[in-house]
Amino acid sequence: MRFNAFRTTSFRLAALYAIFFGLSTAALLLLVYWYTLGQMEQDVENAVSARLSNLQSVYASGGVSALEQALKRESAQPGIRYRYALIDPRGIRVAGTVPYAGLGVEWQELEGEEGDGDNFELTVGGHGVRLPGGWLLWVGRDVETLHELRERLAGAVSAALAVTIAIALAGGVFLGWQVSRRVESMNRTARSIMAGDLTRRLTVRGTGDEFDRLAEQFNAMLDRIQALMENLRQVSSNIAHDLRTPLAHLRHRLEELRGRALTAAQYQDAVEQAIGETDTILATFESLLRIAQIESGRRRTAFTRVDLSALLEELAETYTPVAEDMDHILTAEVAAGVHVQGDRRLLIQMFVNLIENALRHTPAGTRVALRLPLPVAAGVVVTVADNGSGIPAEERDKIFRRFYRLDASRTTPGSGLGLSLVAVIAELHGLVIEIQDNQPGMRVNMRFPAQGGE
Amino acid sequence: MKILIIEDDEKTAGYVVNGLREAGYGVDRAVDGKEGLYLAAGGAYDLLVVDRMLPGMDGLAVVRALRRSGVHTPVLFLTALSGIDERVSGLDAGGDDYLAKPFSFAELEARVRALLRRPAAAVQQTMLRVADLELDLVKRTVTRGGKAISLQPREFRLLEYLMRHAGEVVTRTMLLEQVWDFHFDPQTNVVETHISRLRAKVDKPFQCTLIHTVRGAGYCLREA
Repeated sequence: MRFNAFRTTSFRLAALYAIFFGLSTAALLLLVYWYTLGQMEQDVENAVSARLSNLQSVYASGGVSALEQALKRESAQPGIRYRYALIDPRGIRVAGTVPYAGLGVEWQELEGEEGDGDNFELTVGGHGVRLPGGWLLWVGRDVETLHELRERLAGAVSAALAVTIAIALAGGVFLGWQVSRRVESMNRTARSIMAGDLTRRLTVRGTGDEFDRLAEQFNAMLDRIQALMENLRQVSSNIAHDLRTPLAHLRHRLEELRGRALTAAQYQDAVEQAIGETDTILATFESLLRIAQIESGRRRTAFTRVDLSALLEELAETYTPVAEDMDHILTAEVAAGVHVQGDRRLLIQMFVNLIENALRHTPAGTRVALRLPLPVAAGVVVTVADNGSGIPAEERDKIFRRFYRLDASRTTPGSGLGLSLVAVIAELHGLVIEIQDNQPGMRVNMRFPAQGGE
Repeated sequence: MKILIIEDDEKTAGYVVNGLREAGYGVDRAVDGKEGLYLAAGGAYDLLVVDRMLPGMDGLAVVRALRRSGVHTPVLFLTALSGIDERVSGLDAGGDDYLAKPFSFAELEARVRALLRRPAAAVQQTMLRVADLELDLVKRTVTRGGKAISLQPREFRLLEYLMRHAGEVVTRTMLLEQVWDFHFDPQTNVVETHISRLRAKVDKPFQCTLIHTVRGAGYCLREA
């Protein structure tokens, strides 16, 4: 698996996020930085200004000498944070400890280099003020701590930014790798499915996340495809298996005619029979294809509101004389006004198959009942019941399989497809088929799904 | 009567053309959709028999184009597609009837005749009459020679269809489709049973037989 973390969408998203996050964090940190330092710088400035105005009032009351004295007193205090300078009009420092010769009224920061006294090196920031007569009074405050803080803060901010971005990127790579792994596993499964193994399914982790949901949907789709392919295989195998016989039969008949001297009437007859055989074969093809079509579910879109009561009444009317002619009795109890959603023509075909099956596979004298009671809690149920010989319990399931004929009825004509068509149409409509012992005979219940609002 | 058949398969075309000519119709043939459209658009034909699957322009497209340009010649579709939806899409495209291959010639002929018989404007009739048999569409009653005949709803529908196509052969398939809405082949003698019931009520008590069986084709209602 060639995994390239950097090409995954997850990584790109994570990188994008990391950038935005990084930028906003940076902005935030810088804000903090500026604000904090700004405050501190402001504090220093204020302190210096306060000191200056203090000293200015001393000068105002006592002149230069008072000022000098005040400065001496201040400077003598141990551990003070201020540095002073009093510069005379000639530019010579008269009092104070700040030696620098470029002092002015603007804010300046100076590296400390002490001269008099036992003052240590100190970095100060301050400004001066001009006094009448050309004097300059300068006050500065220790800004070492400020500088240290500035450095520390800058260091912390950079470190924080770096860590944030690193984490975000690492996270992105990790996420990308996770997602990629999941997707790659899906790809692998898909490849083996395409290579022909239709039984494979995507793994569902059970986390309920979008990948799981996707996997579930794909698996459902694969189930469907597998069913369709199985259906296709079965149709082909059915065609091969059960149509080969009548086709072979037909061929034999035609072969027999070859080279025989028959009368015109005999030929006519033989040809009629051959046409009859061909018709049967074609009808079987037709049914098989129809079953396959219905199974592929395309007809569901053609559903309309069907008057089930009217449909069954009409069928009852149609089949009563047919039943009579076959020495059977058909009765019907159909409640009025029952409607369902479905394909009218397919429903007709389904019920016709059930009724005809009951008529044809029961002995003479059998009663066949068609019932549609008023729907109660159990919903809409159509019942076709007979009091014939019935079906042994083990066979009940199988009668709906294609071409399955009960051993007892193998000799009656018909391709055995009728009931599998019933099964397929029932499935299309979401019907539940129940086969029960009618004691005696067989009872088939067709249960419609809840119609919702009918 | 002139019929145009649009069919690319030689064997089918030959079969249909010969059969229809023998039955007395004038028949022309087109080998593909474009040629068929060109010929049919002239409006000189009374009926078009169109194969669904044609090279180039398919049958549905041809008929749609004809309908759009105002040609209302009746159309009978032929198709090898056994799909259930095919019938609907054929009728939607403007076709009038539909026949699945393979078909018996009798079936084709019956449908051709039915389509040719249709009047251009449907006249609203309240009464159908053949010889002394009268069917009142409004009152839903049937009398023959003045005597009332009581029919079940399905028998009435069956008789109505036969009378509407009086003099023509109607096939079992046509009856199953039109009278019963069965679009499949039932495994029991639905049609035969009902025809015989109908005969018992409509023909037997009277001198003249009206409902005839046409061997190998279907039934026909006419004076003997």
